[in-house]
Amino acid sequence: MSTTMQRAQRHTSVARRNTLAAIAFLAPTAILIIVLRIVPAISAVRDSTHSGLPGSLAEPEFVGFDVFARLFASDSFWQSVRQTLFFNVLVNPIQIFLALVLAVLLTRNLPASGLWRTLIFLPSAVPLAGSTIVWGIALRPDGPVNGMLELLDIPRQPWFTSPDQVILALIVLASWIGIGYWMMFLIAGLNDIPTVYYEAARIDGAGALRTFFSVTLPMLRRPLLFVLVADTVANFVLFAPIQILTNGGPEKQSNLLMYDIFHTSYELSDPYTASAELVVLLLIMIAIVVVQFRLLGSSDGEE
Amino acid sequence: MIIRRVGRGLLTVVAILVSLLFLLPVLWLVASTFRSSTETFASSSPLNWNVLWPKEFTLVNLESAVNSGFMTALSNSLLVAVVTVIVGLGISAAAAFALAVIPFRGRTVTFSIVVLSFLVPFEAIAIPLSRSFSDWGLTNTLIALILPGLGNGLAVFTMRQFFLGVPHSLSEAAHLDGANWFRVFWSVYLPLTRPALIGAGLILFLFQWQAYLWPILVTSRQELDLAPVAIAKAFGAFTTDYGRVFAETAILAIIPAIVLLALQRYFVTSVASTGSKE
Repeated sequence: MSTTMQRAQRHTSVARRNTLAAIAFLAPTAILIIVLRIVPAISAVRDSTHSGLPGSLAEPEFVGFDVFARLFASDSFWQSVRQTLFFNVLVNPIQIFLALVLAVLLTRNLPASGLWRTLIFLPSAVPLAGSTIVWGIALRPDGPVNGMLELLDIPRQPWFTSPDQVILALIVLASWIGIGYWMMFLIAGLNDIPTVYYEAARIDGAGALRTFFSVTLPMLRRPLLFVLVADTVANFVLFAPIQILTNGGPEKQSNLLMYDIFHTSYELSDPYTASAELVVLLLIMIAIVVVQFRLLGSSDGEE
Repeated sequence: MIIRRVGRGLLTVVAILVSLLFLLPVLWLVASTFRSSTETFASSSPLNWNVLWPKEFTLVNLESAVNSGFMTALSNSLLVAVVTVIVGLGISAAAAFALAVIPFRGRTVTFSIVVLSFLVPFEAIAIPLSRSFSDWGLTNTLIALILPGLGNGLAVFTMRQFFLGVPHSLSEAAHLDGANWFRVFWSVYLPLTRPALIGAGLILFLFQWQAYLWPILVTSRQELDLAPVAIAKAFGAFTTDYGRVFAETAILAIIPAIVLLALQRYFVTSVASTGSKE
């Protein structure tokens, strides 16, 4: 009887020690989450429900959802949302599709495939501000890209300076960086597929295309969805190329949400409207991130 | 058999062409770094081979980059990135260890909260956070530049995956020898998971090396400019003389390129840990 009690006591003291240790190990991370995520989220919500005159010394007053009401009635906000969605609906599937094609191609034991992988991956090492400038200059009317088009008898294109092409130019820039990066994730996913499935497909006499659709694609579903969601998160907050090259123009066609929030907050000095926009962006991001989290493979089977 | 070999040959040609397509902007960047700015567009229209191989090589652009104070920005970037990697690795590894090895109630929920909060992209909360930083008097400090890079969900996640792969018997044996959790973490787990540490370190490094929005929000003094900000400023200021901008971009890009080329396999192993292993 007493030994059971002693054992139970020792058990609780071990459990308490473990909990204390866990708290100590997690404390710095908890502080970072509070300071870097929770505090700014709360202050965004607070600012979005207040209003005041720019530069005024009076305390901003609580206005409830007024700022949101004004934001949702503004055409310029909806145009920004529309362009952000338009850009994302195009850029993410294009990048992931091409990343998948290249990942499949470069896991086929071609000669020197490691070298080709590295070369395609290399652009993602160039910091975004740097690649923005390289492409900004390369896509100038008198730049080398138009020089290449001329060789093919295609007239010069205006790229970043045309309202019709600015999104296309951003897609080119973002894809040069993104395709190689996500390709690496998909190559890792492809290498995880057990070879027995391919052997079985070969014995069944399945061709390359058949094997791709009935073995590769179903087995790659999770990594594929993961990179699609992660890519969407990254492209949704695209900022540097727009701030450096277009300032949202021409004709506000590249005025994507993240840049619009920055512009409203600092250039129009309207932190309240900017905060309301930010809360909208934050809600979209949280929804996407929850999906992304569920797609992260967890190997301990706890979930 | 012959068809297979021809097919393989064709696929190799495709692989080479695509790689070259991705490489072209890099080659053009390098060539433009070594030619005088008056020649930047000279070979673009009509296009000729000199676009990728300067007629005359010059170091003028690199000299003007070095003399313009870009090296200060570069050393700021290096300092911020190195401190972030060292401190960030410590913080993320400790969190990952608690979430993978120490048994405690609510571990799964804690894990979800940690990874979820850091998966929300930093840019999305950077603007309100910068206002808090200015209230706290952190504007124009190195701490302000370093702090946001320290918490990284992907780093915590990949390290946790590696820690889960270490056999429990090792920590149990250490406990029997009287080791506490810190000893188990420091002398059993960390030495065994070096590839994971390097991979997570790379993730932390690349985040800071890319930083652009946050530095322009929390710094206004030029001597605190990080390299990407300095380049963007130079780009905005010289709309006709791109030579210096090319040189600075090349310097900015070569550091992560070397790091990634050297450590590519660690990056790949971390990346692989995000995949499903059901």
